[in-house]
Amino acid sequence: MTGEEMTEAERPQVTRHARGKRPEFYETPGLDHAMSMIMVLANEISVLRDRMDSVERMAKVHGIDLAAGIETLELDQAALEEREKRRQDFLRRLFYLQLKDADEAAQAQTAEGYSATIADIALQD
Amino acid sequence: MLNTFQQADHPALPKATADEAARQEFTKSFKGFIQSTLLPGLTPIYQTRVARKFEKDHGRAPADRRDIRSGMVHDIYFQHYAAANRIAQELLWESVNCSIDRQLPELIEQARALSASSKAQLVMPEGFTPPRYVTALDIHCMPGGYCSEVCKDDISVGALYDRGVYLYSMGYTGPNNDDMGRSVVNYIKRHMPDFTPRRILDMGCTVGHSTLPYKELFPDAEVWGIDVGGPCVRYAHARAAGIGLEVNYAQMSAEETSFPDGHFDLVVSHILLHETSGKAMPKIFAEAHRVLAPGGLMIHADLPPFDLMDPFTQFILDNETWYNNEPFWGAMRDMDQIALAERAGFDRADVKFDTAPMAVMEFAAAAEGYSQEASEAVADRDFTAGEFAPGGGWEVLIARKPLEKRLAA
Repeated sequence: MTGEEMTEAERPQVTRHARGKRPEFYETPGLDHAMSMIMVLANEISVLRDRMDSVERMAKVHGIDLAAGIETLELDQAALEEREKRRQDFLRRLFYLQLKDADEAAQAQTAEGYSATIADIALQD
Repeated sequence: MLNTFQQADHPALPKATADEAARQEFTKSFKGFIQSTLLPGLTPIYQTRVARKFEKDHGRAPADRRDIRSGMVHDIYFQHYAAANRIAQELLWESVNCSIDRQLPELIEQARALSASSKAQLVMPEGFTPPRYVTALDIHCMPGGYCSEVCKDDISVGALYDRGVYLYSMGYTGPNNDDMGRSVVNYIKRHMPDFTPRRILDMGCTVGHSTLPYKELFPDAEVWGIDVGGPCVRYAHARAAGIGLEVNYAQMSAEETSFPDGHFDLVVSHILLHETSGKAMPKIFAEAHRVLAPGGLMIHADLPPFDLMDPFTQFILDNETWYNNEPFWGAMRDMDQIALAERAGFDRADVKFDTAPMAVMEFAAAAEGYSQEASEAVADRDFTAGEFAPGGGWEVLIARKPLEKRLAA
């Protein structure tokens, strides 16, 4: 059977994990995982940057100098606002947990309160 | 030096989409960054922070690589360095693996067709069991190791090794990953211009990176590559066919081959010994001696022994043992290889260590991304622990089998 004739379930899959316990490098729990995730994301940012570079180079082959155009592009008021909004939205998502912490403080939500709620609900009929 | 080295394409090699290629390229850049920019920081960290703290705690200076390690593992700079190294290794394999997974049946089909087009032999014995030192851990964290098969006629880990090792070595071993083999052949041609081997055996050849230069530079010789990894051997045979060289491959252990006594004039291995074991290494030397004809040469290109280095250098190198699934990496460097060769039957006077200069500069003229300047920078470096490739040249152990076995007195 050739690859084209196989269904998705029939296609063989490579081994994704190396046999052998992975060492931990940091004393703070979870930091090894966080560092790995950060580097995976950095990898994808690098992939995107390479792809944008390819877009500019392909456009140039077809007579459009995007790279030069980008350098001389003047943003009008609407574009300035659109970008600033996007940056603020991005930062809000990036600091999601810190903002959640502040929100909990504002609403006086605590771990004790959460446990108490579970206990209360369990006792109701 | 900006490293823009690019791997040469060949018909068996997995093909990458633009994003897959960019993902892989990043892992090569990341490894380069760690070696050029993070690694040098370990020396001042050790000297100004870790060694001083060790002396304060123990009332004496760190004496060996174990003392150094016991202090370094608690230092945040070292933790970041070691974690980055490990993550780079994981990203590297994954970036190639996801690309192979996408096209595996097609790659297997292609390998089958290439192999069928070659007159060279492919020997795959039924029921072969690879040794434990290769299967207990997936060496250098390569998922699946050398031997795993996920389907019939599988070549996936062979393909993974071919592309992955190029990224791991950051192209330092040339567009065809063959610098070690090429450097040893150059060494032979330079020092022994009259030596023309009729039959050559490459032990632990994986996908035949270093095997092919022997066929290229001794075209009349019968060349064999053997390895314990089935998918690697299959892939090696297809790869050689795709490159247009007739090289025979067999799934076989270097500890015990099926070749007759005195069959080869040249027996070589490249970065094999450090992936074997304390018990296997003497057997491999003995087997090389057995299959060599009188006057034949055994050459092992591998890592230099620890006794040639200071403790801090040893510590850096030994990180591979602890963090990169290389169980024999450290212990192998403590073995007395000259004594092993003697015990295998070679005369002490016919055994020596030497340096085979890197052939990498030869690539500069022809290959994509290999500028003359960058290639020279790789070849002319001094040895730096923690960098890939020693700089200057590969350490080789050379032993010649006596022409006639002397009679015991």
